[in-house]
Amino acid sequence: MDHRPQAWGRPRDDIYGAYDASYLQTSGPKTATQSPVVTGTSVIAIKFKDGIVMAADNLASYGSLARFTDVKRLRTFLDTSVVGFGGDVSDMQFLDRHLKELAIDEAYEHNDDQQQQDDDDSHHKSTPGTALNAANLHKYLQKLMYRRRNDFDPLWNQILVGGLDAARKPFLASVDLRGTAFTSPSLATGFGAALAQPIMRRYAATDEDAARLTREQAVDVVKECMKVLFYRDARSLDRYSIAVVTKDGVELSEDEQLERQSWAFAERIRGYGTQTV
Amino acid sequence: MAAMFSQNPLMNGPNYSFNDSPRTSAPEGAREHRFDPYTDNGGSTLAIAGADFTIMAGDTRLTSGYSINSRHHPKLFKIGGTTADQKDATIVLSVVGFAADGEALKERLDAICKMYRYRHGKPMSVKACAQRLSTILYQKRFFPYYAYAILGGLDEEGKGAVYSYDPVGSYEREQCRAGGAAASLIMPFLDNQVNFKNQYIPNSGEGHALQERERRPLSRNEVEVLVKDAFDGAVERHIEVGDGLQMMVITKDGIEEILMPLKRD
Amino acid sequence: MFMARSEYDRGINTFSPEGRLFQVEYSLEAIKLGSTAIGVATSEGVILGVEKRVTSTLLETSSVEKIVEIDRHIGCAMSGLQADARSMVEHARVECQSHAFNYNEPLRVESCTQAICDLALRFGESADGEESIMSRPFGVALLIAGYDEDGPSLYHAEPSGTFYRYDAKAIGSGSEGAQAELQNEYHKSLSIADAETLVLKTLKQVMEEKLDSKNVQLASVTKERGFRIYTDEEMAAVVERLPTN
Repeated sequence: MDHRPQAWGRPRDDIYGAYDASYLQTSGPKTATQSPVVTGTSVIAIKFKDGIVMAADNLASYGSLARFTDVKRLRTFLDTSVVGFGGDVSDMQFLDRHLKELAIDEAYEHNDDQQQQDDDDSHHKSTPGTALNAANLHKYLQKLMYRRRNDFDPLWNQILVGGLDAARKPFLASVDLRGTAFTSPSLATGFGAALAQPIMRRYAATDEDAARLTREQAVDVVKECMKVLFYRDARSLDRYSIAVVTKDGVELSEDEQLERQSWAFAERIRGYGTQTV
Repeated sequence: MAAMFSQNPLMNGPNYSFNDSPRTSAPEGAREHRFDPYTDNGGSTLAIAGADFTIMAGDTRLTSGYSINSRHHPKLFKIGGTTADQKDATIVLSVVGFAADGEALKERLDAICKMYRYRHGKPMSVKACAQRLSTILYQKRFFPYYAYAILGGLDEEGKGAVYSYDPVGSYEREQCRAGGAAASLIMPFLDNQVNFKNQYIPNSGEGHALQERERRPLSRNEVEVLVKDAFDGAVERHIEVGDGLQMMVITKDGIEEILMPLKRD
Repeated sequence: MFMARSEYDRGINTFSPEGRLFQVEYSLEAIKLGSTAIGVATSEGVILGVEKRVTSTLLETSSVEKIVEIDRHIGCAMSGLQADARSMVEHARVECQSHAFNYNEPLRVESCTQAICDLALRFGESADGEESIMSRPFGVALLIAGYDEDGPSLYHAEPSGTFYRYDAKAIGSGSEGAQAELQNEYHKSLSIADAETLVLKTLKQVMEEKLDSKNVQLASVTKERGFRIYTDEEMAAVVERLPTN
């Protein structure tokens, strides 16, 4: 066995030639995530009359390898919001741990109103609406992501945050690895931005359109989009998670199966170059 | 990052404002890809100073590459008010370029304006705010805010004031300025329509004797029409501009905000 | 005050049971030992005047610097430990320059005074975030005169970190008598020349030495000329104008 730890796990020099040591970065700045490794693909979400629907499949890819097929990429926060992660899975897990901690601290700080209702023999009443809502959470994540990009140590994710804002209106926003934040009636990360977003915009081009959508319509649109993404995104899976957030809380289902697939269209695909056959 | 400051399309062929230009050659031994902290979110801004008003404008599209991230992402911000809704603010900042930096810059300047009011017991003048914005930008000279900022308000005499900036803090007071993706499309139009460049009095002479059309301050209505025309033109010819037009009119009575639609294609 | 002297007068960060900080109160006493300084604000500008204690005929009087410039529009007169005033004035100068650099406008007189008073409380053990620079309170009081967008103004800053705005104020050993005199003589419609005379006349009454153009100094802050220390010739002219009695 080679005694140098630097060579462990690397191809043998005598067979493959000298290893390019420039990858090892023995000096220089602290090593940070400089590229994603295990990744999740699209997250999609749309607003409707009373809240938002968000979905993401359960796959974590290692390059083109479908590495982990049961990875939950939608996370709930304080039963008020849902967070969907695209991009690096390890960074997602870091953020998830961080948000869990934040949620616990918050639960101590303001005994949130949801718990208040469940707790029958509570002695004191806390002010309702003091718990962090989706808008607060999104701002927090935006500051976190922007700070990490300023430190050249980015969290390699694009994140969707959905829930209700301070005025109890549906809230949906995105933040990416550079701290760029924006909102829209429908949002999609990764491939979804090209494939799902045009479909969702047909139903919710503006906030007014979204306010006319029922929950059932919104869920149908999202499920249809997940199907389109599975047809065309090679890094996607037919098992997915879907979450609905309303004022009554978050309903998260993490083991959905794509239904009524039809691959009939595939036969008509002839390739994109000059047709020879 | 060199392309970031390059507004010259001739330097390296067709010049996209987002990072999509093909690499001509890879640098020696550089196979690793590093994190690029910058991106360009497109969009365009515009400001025109009148005799007793200033009009700031910006489109509301937010892009990354060929994707539209949001159709309603404002680029104009009221600065230095005392309330959360900034209803008593007197200064407007517009930012275009990298949206995250723009947002951070806006929040910094606003916080500084608020501190100034507490410390000195008076609201900040546009002149003071303009200088401070310059120092904020220059303090990040070696990791700049990639944002083209324009600051608008009324000066001590009540005249319209527009200050324009580059990302590292160079600034000057101007009559009008366009910034962002379609700046090169809008600015010549403004030169001609606001400062009457290349407009001469017919038959007033030959060659150097030809007299320039005399400049006159434009009315608020004229400027509003000019702004709309400028953006309609930019939307037609620039893919990163569109969706909505946000306008803020600053007068001695306060700031009036106007939203109107632009083409969404 | 000296009756209550006790073990509480040594620690600079310990209140006495009566709620007093003796070292701060003692620092106020140090000022009463200092030479007299007077400031008078008029609608046209502010006049500052100080006595220079010429303790020896061999002393070069021009080296006694008790009125100094902070910025073009702000000056100050001091009484007490002059060396302490150096660091306060230096701080004020930096604050003025930094404000002009960042905001392209002169610092307001009140803000400048506030900046000086912020420094006055930075003694004793350092608090979170702020570095302590002095082991004891400053032993000097300042009369800060300036001209800003609200017109001329005069401030008095104490070692305790409090400051007040005055129309006319005297500090130092002769302050009690001088303040009474100012109280009688001051009125809102004084001209600059009236103020010059009033300052010198009041100084003359409380000074031990006989007032001449060498042992007093005047300075003015006006809109047109900013802060300016009077030249020997100007001093002589003002002294000449004084009524003899």
